[in-house]
Amino acid sequence: MSAAGRIDALVLGGGSFGTALANLLAGLGRHVVLWVRRPEQADEINTRHQNRRYVPDVSLAPNLVATAELAPALAAAPLVLMSVPSRSFREVAHAVGETIRGDQILVHTTKGIEIGSGRRMSEILREETCALKLGVLSGPNLAGEIFAGHPAGALVASRYDEVVRATQGLFAGGWLRVYGGRDVIGTEIGGSFKNIIAIASGVADGLSLGDNTKALLMTRGLSEMAQLGVSAGADVFTFGGLAGIGDLIATCASPLSRNHQVGLRLGKGEAIQAILNSMVHVAEGVPTARAVHEHAKTRGLDLPIVAAVFAMVHEGLTAKAAVATLMARPVGEELAQLRYR
Amino acid sequence: MLPKDKERVLVEIVERVLSAYHDGAAVERAIYDTLYEERRRLETERDRKEAARQRAFYDRIYSDANGAAPEVQRRLLKEIVRAFAAEVAGHFDPRIYAAATRLIPPALSVLLNAASPLRLLTAATTGFANLEDQLRVEGEVETLQHLATLGTTVLVPTHLSNLDSIVIGYALHRMGLPPYIYGAGLNLFHNKLIGFFMHHLGAYKVDRRKKALLYKDVLKTYAGCTLEAGYHNLFFPGGTRSRNGGVENHLKLGLLGMGLSAYVHNLAAGKAKPDIFVVPCTLNYQLVLEAETLIDDHLKEVGKSRYIIEDDEFSKPRRILDFIEKLLSLNSRIHLVISRPLDVFGNEVDDDGHSKDSRGRRLDRTRYVARDGGVGLDPQRDAEYTHELADSVRKAYRRDTLVSSTHALAYTVFRLLRARNPEVDLYKLLRTGGKETSFSAIEVYERLERLLDQLRRLAADGRLWLDDTLAKKDTVAVANDALAHLMSYHRHPAVVRRGDRLFHEDRNLLLYYHNRLDSLGLPGLEVPR
Repeated sequence: MSAAGRIDALVLGGGSFGTALANLLAGLGRHVVLWVRRPEQADEINTRHQNRRYVPDVSLAPNLVATAELAPALAAAPLVLMSVPSRSFREVAHAVGETIRGDQILVHTTKGIEIGSGRRMSEILREETCALKLGVLSGPNLAGEIFAGHPAGALVASRYDEVVRATQGLFAGGWLRVYGGRDVIGTEIGGSFKNIIAIASGVADGLSLGDNTKALLMTRGLSEMAQLGVSAGADVFTFGGLAGIGDLIATCASPLSRNHQVGLRLGKGEAIQAILNSMVHVAEGVPTARAVHEHAKTRGLDLPIVAAVFAMVHEGLTAKAAVATLMARPVGEELAQLRYR
Repeated sequence: MLPKDKERVLVEIVERVLSAYHDGAAVERAIYDTLYEERRRLETERDRKEAARQRAFYDRIYSDANGAAPEVQRRLLKEIVRAFAAEVAGHFDPRIYAAATRLIPPALSVLLNAASPLRLLTAATTGFANLEDQLRVEGEVETLQHLATLGTTVLVPTHLSNLDSIVIGYALHRMGLPPYIYGAGLNLFHNKLIGFFMHHLGAYKVDRRKKALLYKDVLKTYAGCTLEAGYHNLFFPGGTRSRNGGVENHLKLGLLGMGLSAYVHNLAAGKAKPDIFVVPCTLNYQLVLEAETLIDDHLKEVGKSRYIIEDDEFSKPRRILDFIEKLLSLNSRIHLVISRPLDVFGNEVDDDGHSKDSRGRRLDRTRYVARDGGVGLDPQRDAEYTHELADSVRKAYRRDTLVSSTHALAYTVFRLLRARNPEVDLYKLLRTGGKETSFSAIEVYERLERLLDQLRRLAADGRLWLDDTLAKKDTVAVANDALAHLMSYHRHPAVVRRGDRLFHEDRNLLLYYHNRLDSLGLPGLEVPR
């Protein structure tokens, strides 16, 4: 690749979503470089225009360039999209921090929360890099549908107008409509939290409980999301947008969603370890359930659906028992936690 | 400011302030808004002669501006700005400053020692060693001294008392630092004794009664222009003395942001030393001169404290002398802790002036303001950068606050008071004192001991500072030191020991000194029941 020349954007992470974004941008004629960990993977993308491990049966744009060398690509990119799983996020962020400069824009797309610390991804970027122009891109964006070229919408949130404008400009003209926002905290919490609810919704499907149950889980899940968000300083309206309910609808409804898959199989009675062992991709909802559950406990927040999912994926509670636990809870005012805070 | 700089800075201020008013409508609005605010202020101006002079000035502006052509109105606005700027910039003269800094230490010593004839005698024989010892300057002193030669520094201290500016003025002198320009409220000059020193400490008068936005623009621009001209600045980002005794949480971003714009202007102008370093520091007293007035003001109107207090302890020379005399007799120290300096984006700066990321790696700070191949301002971006800076300043304040015996004991007793009266709301508790008028000293000391253990662990982790008594003495000695302080200076003691009981008397004061520690938001400081 020719990282020496100026490029439009660098995408970090050769998983399905990073590949989808890079491919979309290449299709728009942008000079985009995709950084992947393994040199063989970079070769495969550069010579065969395929990334078979993560996106089998997809032909990538021929002008999409991949590299396994981080520093030169990073030095040439005015805008960096970081799309790596939350568990390796800090490590990659630290490596990014070796090279990145203060003028560069750094937007991540990772929907997760760091285990142990409970940190959001933008907080990790702040700790591990000198970049200040940070943003988050989130929304109902299933990688498969992005590859298929169906219209979709996303939200880029940043405290910096420049980040919002640059990201919107990068995607302009394509079928991913990128809206702008300022609420980084709400956008990150929405994106990570919905994976937990997707597992719960998958469980309902696995147990064949029907649409009423799913709608109940999704709306009460949204309420828990907003509760956690508001306590962390988010704007409650964010949860009514693409990064909140929008993402929740897509993730809970789609059989393409990995987290939904995990829930579905849990509902059908499979053991969590067997499910996780059989998956190539990371289901972010599993670690996120632990991170959010622990965080909620320390903050004194009562998030029953999160607690139920945590118990299923980390403590071996059966799907049926989890449903029974939730149903045994007293009912109160629907919006009490949000309206009377 | 040197005479050659003064005129240049004046012209620059006027130009910059005016440049924000692009069109005729904005100019007209600025004129009439200013006239409105200024005439209102003049209604209560005490100095009648001065009021008449200013009223005549504004009356003329009014009649000239009425229905005038845009270019005439622009000229009139310029006149107002020029008048504000001249007033702000008019007071500081480095020659007087140089003379004053030489004069101040002996003068201050005499002043302090005059409180007690006996002390004066002692002082005469010990060569004013007391004063030297009374103020401890700690932390990143050498880095500050070095950075002041590499670039221009902005000192941003916490603010508890009107004595702060005098203490800092003296500390700067002792560190061998050049003059710092500093905007002080007019009320500070009302006290003749202190006013004399203020005048000569590099202070310029800030008239807080002037509410016109134009005036505030002039003040900010003045700070920015002096920074660009290489004059070190001092200001209190909290804006006013902490009313509740806690460490500042809300910082004024307007002035903080002037460092960034000065930096960008310096870079664009290709200056040899473009760097601006922001240096947080904390001022720590075991007793605060105005504690009673401040906490009363806080409790009277939480959230909308009177901005200008003209009738506090600071306006009474006798109280100041009394206060200083008590501090000396108790061997009490004032600690100024200098934090690790920051760049204008909130990154820490190393001893050589290089910015570092939070993992300690050097970074090129010019990149943050890169724009179209050069450097440039971007108001939205820069406002966010200033938020980052404010976050770093807040963190520095929390990490570098020094806790003394009075804070630890007040914290312990106040927590106990609340724990014993869980059903009583704060205001009622402060007024009535709850169920018991006293606690067993043994119980308080047990709790104090646990608190001291926690504080010492936190101090070992670099999370806060402790004074010598707190760091080294046993619990009884700490309690005795705190009691000696809390019982001595204030009109009513916060807490008194009688026999084996500790009586909480002035609970407002107890709350005030408790808040210092409470505001640090440290984990695990709940004193267990």
